[in-house]
This record gives sequence, C-alpha cells and structure tokens, in this order.
Amino acid sequence: MHRRGVGLAAFDRKQTTKRFEELSNSISQSQVTHLNNQLAQFRTALTHFASTHRDKIKSDPSFRHAFQQMCTSIGVDPLAGPRKGGWWAELLGLGDWQYELGVQIVDVCVSTRERNGGLIEMAELIRMVSKLRGVSGGSITEDDIVQSIKTLEPLGAGYQVVDISGRKMVRSVVKELDDDQTTILGLAQEHGGRVVEDMLIQRRQWSRERARTALENMLLRDGLCWLDDQDEECGRAYWVTSAMKWEA
Amino acid sequence: MLTTMALSTHTTSTGFLLPSIHSAPPFFTQQPNPATEAIVIEQWTKLILSYARHRNLFYLRVEDAETGGDWDEVLRNDRINRRLPPTHLSSILAGMVAKNVATYEPAKQTRSVLLYWRLPEEWAEVLHQWASTTGQMNTIMTFYEITDPPVNSPLTNIPLPLLRKAITILAKSNRAQIIAIADGEGL
Repeated sequence: MHRRGVGLAAFDRKQTTKRFEELSNSISQSQVTHLNNQLAQFRTALTHFASTHRDKIKSDPSFRHAFQQMCTSIGVDPLAGPRKGGWWAELLGLGDWQYELGVQIVDVCVSTRERNGGLIEMAELIRMVSKLRGVSGGSITEDDIVQSIKTLEPLGAGYQVVDISGRKMVRSVVKELDDDQTTILGLAQEHGGRVVEDMLIQRRQWSRERARTALENMLLRDGLCWLDDQDEECGRAYWVTSAMKWEA
Repeated sequence: MLTTMALSTHTTSTGFLLPSIHSAPPFFTQQPNPATEAIVIEQWTKLILSYARHRNLFYLRVEDAETGGDWDEVLRNDRINRRLPPTHLSSILAGMVAKNVATYEPAKQTRSVLLYWRLPEEWAEVLHQWASTTGQMNTIMTFYEITDPPVNSPLTNIPLPLLRKAITILAKSNRAQIIAIADGEGL
C-alpha cells in the first residue's frame, strides 16, 4: 500500500539521499546536515516513545486516538512506509493490530450481509467485533473502525462509512445506495425499522409508484429489508433489518 | 402511530425461551427474496426443533398453524398479532425434510412430518442405553413396553415409526432384532 506525502517513515535510507540531493540545490550543505541530524534524533525519540507505550496504544482507545492525532499533526503516518505496514507498524505491532481488526470487520460484515443487505449500523458492528475479540481485545471505538476501514479501501470491496440521518453505518457491498434508498433508510431509523408506502407519500411527497418501486427494489433486488404482509395498518410493511434492534 | 417495539426474547408459559426474532413481525411472512427466505427458514427450523425437544413433541402438521394446540406458543405471537400461515409452514417443513431433520410421516404426503430433534442414530443409542441400564438386554420386549414403560424414560411416547428406525439401526450392528409376534410386535 502506498501512502504519499511527507511522513517520517518515508525517509528511509535509500530515499533520504535522493531527497537531500534535491534539497541541496536550495539549501546549503550545513543546513542539510543539521536537518538530517534533527530528523534522526526525532526518529529515535519517537521510536522510544512508541515502544514504551506500545501496550497502552493497543489497549486504550483514547490514548490510541491521541497518538494517532499526534502522528497526523506532525505528518507521520503509522501505516506508511517502504515495507508493508511500515517500520512504525512493525515497531508497535500496530500493523498486525490493524490487520486483525480489518479482518474482524470483514468477518462481521460478510456474516451479517444476508441478514442486513450489506449495511450494518456502526454500533452493531462495534458490538459484534468486540464479541469476536473477547475480553483480551481491549475496547474498540468508532474511530478505530473508521481508521481500519480506510485501510480496507485497496481491497476494492466497497467498504465505506456512510451517514444516514445522523446514524453512522458501514456499507460493505459495492453497490452505491441511491438517494431514494437513503431516504427510506433514514425513515426506517426513525420508526424502529418499519417503513410503508404511505409514509413516503405523506412525509416526503413521493408518488405511489416511486414509493412502491423503491421499496420493492430494496426488498427483492437488494435484500435490504424484510416483508411483513400482516401489517394491521397498511397490509404490507417493509422492515429494514439494519434499523431493527434484536438480541442475538 | 405504531409504537416501536424493542425486539426481545420472551419466556412462554411452558417455560420456553423464544428468541428475539420471534418478536419481529416480518418473521412470520414468507419472504419473496430467496436469500432472505433461506435465513427465515433456517431460524424457524431451529426454533421448531428446539420447541419440540422442550415439549417432547414429535409431529408437526401444516394444520397446526390454523388450529389451536400444542404448537400455539411458537406458531403465533399474540403480543404482536402475527401468526405463521399454513403455506409458509408447509414451505418450512419441506425445508426441514430436505435437510433431514424431519421426515414426511406417513410417507407419500406432505402435510405432516415427524421431527428429528434427535436423529434416529441418536435414538438408537438412547434405546441401547436404556435397555442396558434397566437390565433388559437379551430379553424380548414389545414395542408397547418401550414406549409406555412403568417409569418414564427418554423413550416414553416415542412414535412407532421412529422407534422402528432406531431398532433397525441397532440391528445393523447386531444389537437388536425385530421379531414379528402374532398379537403385537416386539423385539
């Protein structure tokens, strides 16, 4: 995986020389030497810091978050580098940690995909991943999931965090949610998962054809909802599984 | 305005814990999307076998979805006003037979099944165990003595077709034999 940009991890020995060659055109040699020394010192300090706090980074989400913020602000990408995962990752074992989390996210999304059509609520995902990890996994936050999903991008599997009516969801199918589906999902969330044609007509001013088509597509084509044909009010109601909450 | 209901488990009056999916209104509808329906059938299968084991029930008929009776606690949910329609139950039964966790009994019809909440092979072991612990090895018994013993056993009320299957399995390993006797069958 390639990350561009100025990152401390990007300055490995081979590249360093080349970069300094470019720099030396505009900066004098002594300044360059000075810079090099500073970077080396900084790198040592950061290495020391990382190994001292490795366990805390892995187990404490707020510390982990603060650490990642710090890395970002000084232009260090813990996952970048010439070697897979970068020397950072190797130092911290963070690459493994991220990788493991990524695998767990994929695991949960794939195993619940038939049930929820490839769209899972963030809270539910966190709950299930935490279950997979068990007590020794430490606690996982939404931020961890978001970061991990970024690393899944190269897989091209379409993992994305989407926002639906203020609720964060994770989408794991390639298909884009069209606007109508997003509207329906939003409504479903407001009503415990249940949506009927009349709701879309009355609250969103849709035509009946539009409402019917969108709902039927979600049901038949995309498997994003379940049908209830004994609904007392409307006879036919659609239940969006990702907005329903049920115990295991 | 429909009040939103948190889907939760529920313990029935016979002490059976219904899973939370049983509180979901769409669970009772046969789903037009085949992938979704596969999940629904899988969940109903688990539920039915579990309940049968709990209540020691062996038969399930399509008509049980309509008439009141032993299966009401599972085939209906009055708290959400839903019931499993006969057509859907029929489809679920077909699924269970295909998976060999039930068999159409009597044969050549599709309205009634015998449930294998314990497989015939497992019943064979139960029979063998029971016979040896009650000191009845190497004796001749009638079927009646097995299904209605003086002291309740795990085999009490086991339907004859299932008992025969279990005995046939034992016979294959030479642990039992069915002997035809004039006034009743025995082994």
